[in-house]
Amino acid sequence: MMLFFRSEESLNDWCEKRAYPRRPSATLPQLWKMGLAWYADRLSPTARRPNPDEIRGIFSDIGLSDPFWDPRADYLA
Amino acid sequence: MPDSDLEIRQAVYRYLAENGRSPALEEMCDIVGQPPQEIQDAYQRLRARRLLVPSADGRSIRMAPPFSGVETQHRVYVGERQYYGNCAWDAFGVIAALGGHGRVESRCEATGEPLILSLTPSGPNDSSWRFHVVVPAAQWWNDIVFT
Repeated sequence: MMLFFRSEESLNDWCEKRAYPRRPSATLPQLWKMGLAWYADRLSPTARRPNPDEIRGIFSDIGLSDPFWDPRADYLA
Repeated sequence: MPDSDLEIRQAVYRYLAENGRSPALEEMCDIVGQPPQEIQDAYQRLRARRLLVPSADGRSIRMAPPFSGVETQHRVYVGERQYYGNCAWDAFGVIAALGGHGRVESRCEATGEPLILSLTPSGPNDSSWRFHVVVPAAQWWNDIVFT
């Protein structure tokens, strides 16, 4: 359920029709930075997943600071 | 992580990068020189460390993020090879993992409109397209396939 949408309007329509919660969205330039941060070294023998603090920092650095993106947040919205 | 698990993880990723599909269990036995049960046990340990997701029968790889071991709507082309991303993020991630040049072919989930996007290391231009995740980050690995 990590998906592309043509526009904010398309995303809003989809959430409403499927009764899914509308979450904070990201732009494609932000998504590219997420891809690089997570996966640019994934084929290296020393590759590892970022830890929770690093994850929060990665999202914050690219402008995604809502608690939704915090792996330690007690996010119930 | 045991060295043998690291070796198996690396072998899985190398195979996916070179072939665009999951290695069969028998292929993994040949590659790493271990019996099937050792490899399947390693898959489960790697799953527990959130490093990959074996298939339900434990004989192949469902997810080695960003690579998908099964076909998805998120096709990725790098050079002459085709891959599948597990999700929109992983479609970009496959290209990031393989050097930063490639093409994503996916769609708008609401309208079905195709998304065809060539990527370079500088990334895409801004547009009206959006990326959306239903599950909060703190819950992603509760059910990673759904996420």
